[in-house]
Amino acid sequence: MRLDRSLAQGQLAQAMGVSRQTINSIENDRYTPSLPLAMALARYFGVTVEEMFDDQA
Amino acid sequence: MTRHSQAFTRSKWFLPLFSVAMGGLLLAASWLGGHPGAGLVFLAAMTVFGLVILLAGRSETVRGLRGDGRDERFAQMDMRATAVSGLVLIVALIVAWLVEIARGHSGNPYSWLLAISGLSYLIAVVILRWRG
Repeated sequence: MRLDRSLAQGQLAQAMGVSRQTINSIENDRYTPSLPLAMALARYFGVTVEEMFDDQA
Repeated sequence: MTRHSQAFTRSKWFLPLFSVAMGGLLLAASWLGGHPGAGLVFLAAMTVFGLVILLAGRSETVRGLRGDGRDERFAQMDMRATAVSGLVLIVALIVAWLVEIARGHSGNPYSWLLAISGLSYLIAVVILRWRG
């Protein structure tokens, strides 16, 4: 989703108020974001949390 | 914690200033103990540490430790690291306590330190459970 919008990890991180490393860790399944961050990310991309994080959704 | 104090602990100045303040306290304690020279060495070491933390801003670890680069992931790492260091400290205290008892001593001050750590853990659990 991020790459579809040609967003750098740093840009998304800045928009979410977290570090670039946190975005990288989420993308690589090394960190599960908190519910508020998951909702903020979903809202940012205009999708539901399930669409954003659930592979089976 | 108020928003103002939280903003201060999350600024890049908090840890460096805290280090220098600790160095000042070490100097005062050493002075009182009759070793002002050692106190000056402590102060110098803590000031150098503070300067390194202040100037090494590119590293995520340093910015996280310092406070200005702290987000929810780093806060979680901080909590886990604190738990690990607490666990290591408690294990070290138990070993030291047992060694002291085996030597025929009373086990102090380790027994007191273990009592404080156990009690503070119980109080923290009660408070956290109460707060939900």
